[in-house]
Amino acid sequence: MTKLLITEVTRMGPAFCVIGLQRENQKIHSVRPVSPNTNGWMDFPHQRGDILQCELTPFPGAKPHIEDRVSTRGFQKDSTVSELETVTYLRKAEIAHSMRELFGCPVHANKSGSGLYAIPGEATRSICGTETRNLRLEFYANELRATLVLSSGEVLRDLPLVDRDWRDFIDAALSESRGANRLGRLERFLNSQFHYKILSCPHHFIRLGLTRPYREVCWLMLDTLFPLPKLEWLEEF
Amino acid sequence: MTSAEEAIRWRKLVEDSFRREIGTQGALTDSHADLIETGVLDSMGWVSFLRTLESVSGVNELGALLTNVPPTLENIFSALQDARFSADTSDAKVLKANPSTRPSDVLITHSSAALGSRIIPSAQVDLAFGMPEGKLRKRAGIESLAYAADGENELILGARAAQQVLHDAGGPVQELDWIIVTSETHRGYPSLAAQLHSQLLARETCGALDVGGACLGLLNGLAVAQGLIVSRQARIIVVVTADVHSRLLTPGRVAGEFGGLFGDGASAFLLRAEVGAEVRAKMPQEDSFGAQHSYRLGEFLFGCVGQYAGAIRLADAPEGQLALHFDGEALSRAAVTRMEKVILDLESRSGFPRSSLQGLATHQPNPRLVALLAKQCGLAADKFPVVAQTFGNLGSSTCGVALDSILRATQTLSIEQRRPIFLASLGPGLLFGGAWLELQRG
Repeated sequence: MTKLLITEVTRMGPAFCVIGLQRENQKIHSVRPVSPNTNGWMDFPHQRGDILQCELTPFPGAKPHIEDRVSTRGFQKDSTVSELETVTYLRKAEIAHSMRELFGCPVHANKSGSGLYAIPGEATRSICGTETRNLRLEFYANELRATLVLSSGEVLRDLPLVDRDWRDFIDAALSESRGANRLGRLERFLNSQFHYKILSCPHHFIRLGLTRPYREVCWLMLDTLFPLPKLEWLEEF
Repeated sequence: MTSAEEAIRWRKLVEDSFRREIGTQGALTDSHADLIETGVLDSMGWVSFLRTLESVSGVNELGALLTNVPPTLENIFSALQDARFSADTSDAKVLKANPSTRPSDVLITHSSAALGSRIIPSAQVDLAFGMPEGKLRKRAGIESLAYAADGENELILGARAAQQVLHDAGGPVQELDWIIVTSETHRGYPSLAAQLHSQLLARETCGALDVGGACLGLLNGLAVAQGLIVSRQARIIVVVTADVHSRLLTPGRVAGEFGGLFGDGASAFLLRAEVGAEVRAKMPQEDSFGAQHSYRLGEFLFGCVGQYAGAIRLADAPEGQLALHFDGEALSRAAVTRMEKVILDLESRSGFPRSSLQGLATHQPNPRLVALLAKQCGLAADKFPVVAQTFGNLGSSTCGVALDSILRATQTLSIEQRRPIFLASLGPGLLFGGAWLELQRG
């Protein structure tokens, strides 16, 4: 049995992708449990910070998704750690301070439009944590996009935010039951209170991931944004 | 442009941007189809497509206009129409206040360039920097460099270029409303613009403005000048670039692979508001104001690609040293990719295909990259004037010397033979910018 601290739950179309931290030989590294048939989970009832008992077997995943492990049995919840503690563990796992270090390869800008990508054969991993100097979320043509500055000063622009909790929060903010002018209110929140809440949080931390290869490239995504959103923030806008 | 012509232009912009995203020359998809649901684009592609469209159309609020509506081409057409309507309304207010000046009605009437007087073979520079002889030629394609002689500096070179354009224009120094100057090497006060103001003996109420941007400085200066003229804050402006690298990037302070690339030079351009055809017809000269050139400034596009901010950094260090971080490989890759994109965007926005151009005045980090850019763009190398190969990278003056070279070459051509010109440049950051020059209206 393996103990896995769940650190990422991301939305990938109708499914969820899950990543956790495993301690092995005094080292903490990321592991992505996948079902025997697909890369995602149609239902994942657990939360970040949950420690789950599971059975994982190595999986000959193609680069850069070397973290893939096949889950051969269901997950059983063991305990839960706080958000702060989760981030403390994440800071001990894969971490980078510059764009080049993120996935062990150059990151390329999309020649024709926006977004950033890595070449599958060049990238040495598909998930990495990093500190940010600044971060902005934008709701753009029905899509949620993040732009951020790494501690190296390099800017990553137009990354899709796939963090399940943040996506749920945005959905809730735009829910019809919240009355009129919801989009304007959300934009004001993202441009003001959001910025303060995120950047002033002592455990502000993000993890970036790579998509599965699509048309021979892997796109960068913002997988996880700490702190996680709180429902009471909806009362503020 | 009539509204029907405008509609065709907008539709073409959408089509071009869409094809850039889906990578096909095929027909547009059904304009009412949901581009994501039908699998034509994924969400990455949808945002990427819109960002391209914003860049080429100059409409920056497409994302907001397309929220809460399905991602279809029809909705894009109608969003662009809404944006255009709102822009037209605000333009109408400006035009009502200033009926004689339309946006973009700014001419470049004269140009000039001045180079460091000493032409040094690159092999000599190799040795000065302690590099193997022939390295600059073999690796960067630089044959020689223009270095300032004793007594030459940014002020002397800049003044030489500026005085030449003023002389060619008939000496309207007292008519100058602004002197706009850019230099990536001049440090200290009074600023270079202030010094040039005194050197040229401009009238006291002529403004003097320094703009930054390093190698992008010329485009920044031209854009500021255009803004001042179309807003009727000014009628005549001289824009000057001047860079003397040979005293800043010296052996012992920076590595030869970086410092050895740079030469010294300056350029100057006289800009003025375009007068109407009726006024021009009453003037004694055949050409308006005896203008040397017959080009007017088109639109500008600017931006900053922060992910390459780390590729080049230069700062003062203790004891007069310079702290340089230069990732040549990353910078070269980024420079070519971004300039190609700027050229693509200019092509879409201006409607001038690259094949129709007189030439391209671009930044030239080194001759090898110019050759690579020409190849990537599918253009003949002679569309890019030879600057870096003979004089070295001149910083903000590279683009200026290249533009002057193209403009002078057009003087031997009849008006009918002259073609549009593209400007494209980069600066640390990674800043980028582009603009076009088109022929003066009838």
